[in-house]
Amino acid sequence: MAAAVTIPSDRIRADLWRPLSGAGSWYVAAVVVTGLLVAWGLFAWGYQIHTGIGVVGKRRPVMWSFYITNFVFWIGISHAGTLISAILRLTHAGWRRPVTRAAEAITVFALMIGGLFPLIHLGRVGIFYYLIPYPNERMLWPNFRSPLVWDLTAIFTYITGSVIYLYLPLLPDLADLARHSTGPHRTIYRLLSLGWTGSDREWHALERAQKLMAGMILAVAVSVHTVVSWDFAMAVAPMWHSTIFGPYFVTGAIFSGIAALIVVMAIIRRGMHLEAYLEPVHFDNLAKLLLLMCLLWAYFTTAENLTVWYGNEPSEMVVFGERVRGTYAPLFWAMVILNFVVPFVLLGIRRLRTIHTAVISAVGVLVGMWLERFLIVVPTLARPRLPAAWGTYSPTWVEVSITVATFAAMALLYLIFSKLVPIIAVWEYKHVSDG
Amino acid sequence: MPHRWGMVIDLDRCTGCEACVAACHAENNIPLSTPEEAAKGRATHWIRVDRYYEGEFPDVRVRYMPVLCQHCDDAPCEPVCPVYATYQNPEGLNVQVYNRCVGTRYCGNNCPYSVRFFNWFEPKWPEPLQLQHNPDVAVRMGGVMEKCTFCLQRIQRAKRDAKDEGRAVADGEVQPACVQSCPAEAMVFGDLNDPESKVSRMAKSGRGTRLLEDLGTKPKVIYLQRVK
Amino acid sequence: MYLMAEFADKDSAAAAIEGLKTRGLTAGDLDVFSTEPVEFAPGVLDRPSRMSLVAVAGAATVGVGAVGFVYYTQHSYNLITGGMPTFSFWATGVVFYELAMLGAIAATFLWLLHEGGFLRRDRNAPVPVVEPGSICLRVRCDADLAETGTRLYEAGAVRVEKLK
Repeated sequence: MAAAVTIPSDRIRADLWRPLSGAGSWYVAAVVVTGLLVAWGLFAWGYQIHTGIGVVGKRRPVMWSFYITNFVFWIGISHAGTLISAILRLTHAGWRRPVTRAAEAITVFALMIGGLFPLIHLGRVGIFYYLIPYPNERMLWPNFRSPLVWDLTAIFTYITGSVIYLYLPLLPDLADLARHSTGPHRTIYRLLSLGWTGSDREWHALERAQKLMAGMILAVAVSVHTVVSWDFAMAVAPMWHSTIFGPYFVTGAIFSGIAALIVVMAIIRRGMHLEAYLEPVHFDNLAKLLLLMCLLWAYFTTAENLTVWYGNEPSEMVVFGERVRGTYAPLFWAMVILNFVVPFVLLGIRRLRTIHTAVISAVGVLVGMWLERFLIVVPTLARPRLPAAWGTYSPTWVEVSITVATFAAMALLYLIFSKLVPIIAVWEYKHVSDG
Repeated sequence: MPHRWGMVIDLDRCTGCEACVAACHAENNIPLSTPEEAAKGRATHWIRVDRYYEGEFPDVRVRYMPVLCQHCDDAPCEPVCPVYATYQNPEGLNVQVYNRCVGTRYCGNNCPYSVRFFNWFEPKWPEPLQLQHNPDVAVRMGGVMEKCTFCLQRIQRAKRDAKDEGRAVADGEVQPACVQSCPAEAMVFGDLNDPESKVSRMAKSGRGTRLLEDLGTKPKVIYLQRVK
Repeated sequence: MYLMAEFADKDSAAAAIEGLKTRGLTAGDLDVFSTEPVEFAPGVLDRPSRMSLVAVAGAATVGVGAVGFVYYTQHSYNLITGGMPTFSFWATGVVFYELAMLGAIAATFLWLLHEGGFLRRDRNAPVPVVEPGSICLRVRCDADLAETGTRLYEAGAVRVEKLK
């Protein structure tokens, strides 16, 4: 807010539009590296489709592993946009303005990537359309009682809503870009801006729609990750069949979403020279939110593990032991340190809370949350109820490549996006009337 | 009265010889595995014999338990399949429709008995073993789940023969491969809806238990063992 | 006939609008163009909206439709899974909720296109090019152009132009 007073209006637009033209050497290098990683990941997927899904490390009984972990992880990351845009909009938190479009972009891209994983993990990808309800000769429809079909509807709704939610505030900026462009750019921007003229009718309708969408997208976001958690909670497998999964996953999602947002914001702040717009106060506020989610996550994790341990139910205790003391113990304790200890110390102590420590904590949280998803999926499957069916798990190059490629894909999508539209909504930044 | 197929396995007779496993392999075109794949845990055994050791030396007892698909009435594997590739047919069997399966593997995760198997690759048999295939049974493709079917092909054959001859299916006429091959005659298969059948009478035995009964899956395989 | 008046701040624009309304012009004749949303006090230039109602209606329609659709599909090929009933409201409740929200979202977006005037543009109405920071008031009046212009200048307009 203070910055809007000190930076003159025309400089705001110049600063925020500067990254749209030209490409520095860092940018080109980043695009090349991420592009190669994405290409390698696509090759790995193609190899998997051609040879058979057996090229991954999955086996009986661990029939779900990296791909479902990634699926849950990326859908979790997508809650970044929802938190920042929707909750902070509904609570009239003015500091959100420079951050909303970056967050909403994370949401859309994370959903695109996360939504790809149910396809990657299918045994027979070619007939994935059996999951889609469409009239056919046999009048056979998908099983709406299955949590996987719930996933499909939830993610479809969420991605539609998020794309609209990202698109709406873009309209004024697209019209502005159209006015200042030439040639094919002008036509495309004009088309995408739906002929936005800036009349008060349009502004009113836009603001009303944004307010409504904020509430609706929040309701959908909470339900989406709850539904994703119910893929596990609805199963009778030990330590999956837990009522806490719904709120646990939503908390974890918002947690990892804020962490992703902090990392992305730090990168664009440095890369696009937006130090005057993404100020330390923004990182301070996000760091405080990250700390809050860290505490909530710790609360849920304690609640879940304590009730399992105290209940002492045999098949659950086997899984619990594997996580805390056994095969997966190094991952479990790394997760606890990265998700709780590091953020608590670095962000809880005011003197230590800087942009640098916020980014370090955020990166740690991203790794820790990935581990948390992994530790939910694999130990339970490795220790089913009948001991004769116990198994192990180790990944292969295919799954690792695809996992790395998705991170590269996120970066690549973001790099491309940052060249097409300003990453901070110019009109929203200048408009500070509602605090 | 429709049939309701069930099985009784007498654990006090089972010697753990695994003839049932071998017979099932031969009857149902079960894909072969390699040593590397088997070490990873990808070998397919529609019926397997679980072996548990009890006690310390010298008082060690070994217990054998053949575990196959229990064809549960309230099967947890069925509602979670997004494409209806597994459902319960009117005769109480939990059927797997290979053509419909897209390979999400949720059913495999939700089966508490771990009796579901996935074809990670296209099944292959080294020459000349593919000549040994049972023509009555489908050869599955890569990417689909499979499991014990209570030898549905033998049930169908018995019902066809009975219909051709204008009679009902006789008790003991339908014998899945495992039941037929057990040298200790530990396994009995038949119609639970027929109160006179051997399987119904044995199921009422005081030694009868069901595996993981407290989960409420209502399995149709009854295990007989002396409870100490 | 359209007049375009440029103002430097929203107070003078509001005063001008009030003045025009006393002369008989309605909100339908007035359009305010700006590069950022301008918020007048309530009553100056109200645009009543039915968007919330439309959103709820969208949710209800698609939600009820989803219930009917699932009921029909579960019965059209009746397969027993895990002892569950053929149509189970709770087992499929998530689908109803998500599709209802989708209906609300789609209805909101489509109504935005309608209410914002994106769909039916009056090709004859000229659109002023607005510089950042200024507020343009477009007045549609067929008579008394000079009089209206004078009033606008009195209210504080920086510039008044006749367009088309």
